[in-house]
Amino acid sequence: MLRFENVGMRFGGGPEILRDVTFLLEAGSFNFLTGASGAGKTTLLRLMYLAEPPTRGLITLFGCDLATTPPSQFPALRRRIGVVFQDFRLLDHLSAFDNVALPLRLAGKRLDHYAHDVEELLDWVGLGAKLEAKPPTLSGGEQQRVAIARAVVARPDLLLADEPTGNVDPDIAQRLVRLFEELNRLGTTVLIATHDRSLLERTQAREMRLVDGRLIEMRTPRP
Amino acid sequence: MSAQRPGRIMPRWEGAAPLDVVIGVMGFLAALALGASLIASRTAEGWRTGLADGLTVQILPHEGSGPTLDSESDTVLAILRRTNGIAQAKLVSDTEARALVAPWLGSGAAIADLPLPRLIDAAIAPGAIVDLAELTQRLKSAAPDSVIDDHALWLTRLQRVADAVIWSAWAILALIALATAATVTFATRAGLAAHQDIVSLLHQMGARAGFIASAFEWHYFASALVASTVGAALAAGIFALTGGLEIAGIEPVPFLPPLGLGAPQLIWLFAVPAVTGLIALATARISVLAALARNY
Repeated sequence: MLRFENVGMRFGGGPEILRDVTFLLEAGSFNFLTGASGAGKTTLLRLMYLAEPPTRGLITLFGCDLATTPPSQFPALRRRIGVVFQDFRLLDHLSAFDNVALPLRLAGKRLDHYAHDVEELLDWVGLGAKLEAKPPTLSGGEQQRVAIARAVVARPDLLLADEPTGNVDPDIAQRLVRLFEELNRLGTTVLIATHDRSLLERTQAREMRLVDGRLIEMRTPRP
Repeated sequence: MSAQRPGRIMPRWEGAAPLDVVIGVMGFLAALALGASLIASRTAEGWRTGLADGLTVQILPHEGSGPTLDSESDTVLAILRRTNGIAQAKLVSDTEARALVAPWLGSGAAIADLPLPRLIDAAIAPGAIVDLAELTQRLKSAAPDSVIDDHALWLTRLQRVADAVIWSAWAILALIALATAATVTFATRAGLAAHQDIVSLLHQMGARAGFIASAFEWHYFASALVASTVGAALAAGIFALTGGLEIAGIEPVPFLPPLGLGAPQLIWLFAVPAVTGLIALATARISVLAALARNY
């Protein structure tokens, strides 16, 4: 699914933020990425969702060596990844419904084909009554749930979530984790970057920890 | 169903309002230029049909040629009426001839004694071809003082004037199209910068460059279409008003041919918004695709 081999990353002439990062995300696996603030979690996620190329090393995604994959194929690869951004990155002028539907529109689906799915998903994350609400009128937790719904609505092959439960209460957090687990059961590979140790305690998923830009395997899932 | 149709990917950008004004003004100017071209074409056609379907024979006076002039006029009239292709021929009366020169020489007693040539107006039958060389030869042998004028010189000069007006109008239209494209390019770049966060998100979510470009191009197409339609409608109103004044017998601009446009010609002016919209659409698309290729 996703393989990093000796990947390094630095911005400009600065120090390396990621050093010799090597790991493999198996297809259908459930993973956590932990680490202190500034450890490089967001940078690692940015490499995973193809926001930028690494300074060195090899990344293989969905069987494609990114160093030799033509740029014209990147949009198709990106559409197979669902991302929950730490700052949500919702479009303020669109309704919650239209924000969630965005990946389906990008995939060329028509409104009458996806409207029911989008409504059902928003209902599932507790926003069934706020389909037409614009993000600025929603609370932080509600915006986060819209962002999560948007990331999962197209049933991506790979789901990357950056602190997805940071702004929600424990009940909603548990509900969202169940959503991720459900998606994982349907075949999506999941990686959640989080500070929230309680999330890890609820599951037996693999934990990868970043310490000073290096990746340390902390826990492997039970067979 | 929560929504009847999907929301616009790109929000309405308030910074684009000046673009609407500029394109509206350009649409107005372009419609004026196109109208001028249509008027020049119509006028040239009027001149052509008015002059090309006739010829004038002059019998030039000389010292003591009074009785000869009359007999030569009769001879010329007779020859013309027998000539194939000449539908009719008539002698221009002395009063009519003096009225023709009155704007230049005045109508006072001074020109009463002025010897004027005899003029014979002949109309060529529609579609008929008259062998002018052969006719000239026949007239010369029968009436040595006759000179035939098929209006070719005037027609050529008037056609040149009309062509100059038409080509100038098209050159102005080309310049306006160029300025529109440049303006839209500038506005598209500003729009891209203003919506950088949205473009970046769409790119990150796997949007194809064409999808992002289409979000911009339809926005600029619609803006240009509306603004240019307002400009063209204003120009059409001016031409329609001028036409109305001319029908009422008021000459808005002296010495010029009629400047009003009829309904069929006014409809042509609305080609301006359609073309402007397409220019905006194509320019926006090219600009966005170029910017995406450069930045992503």
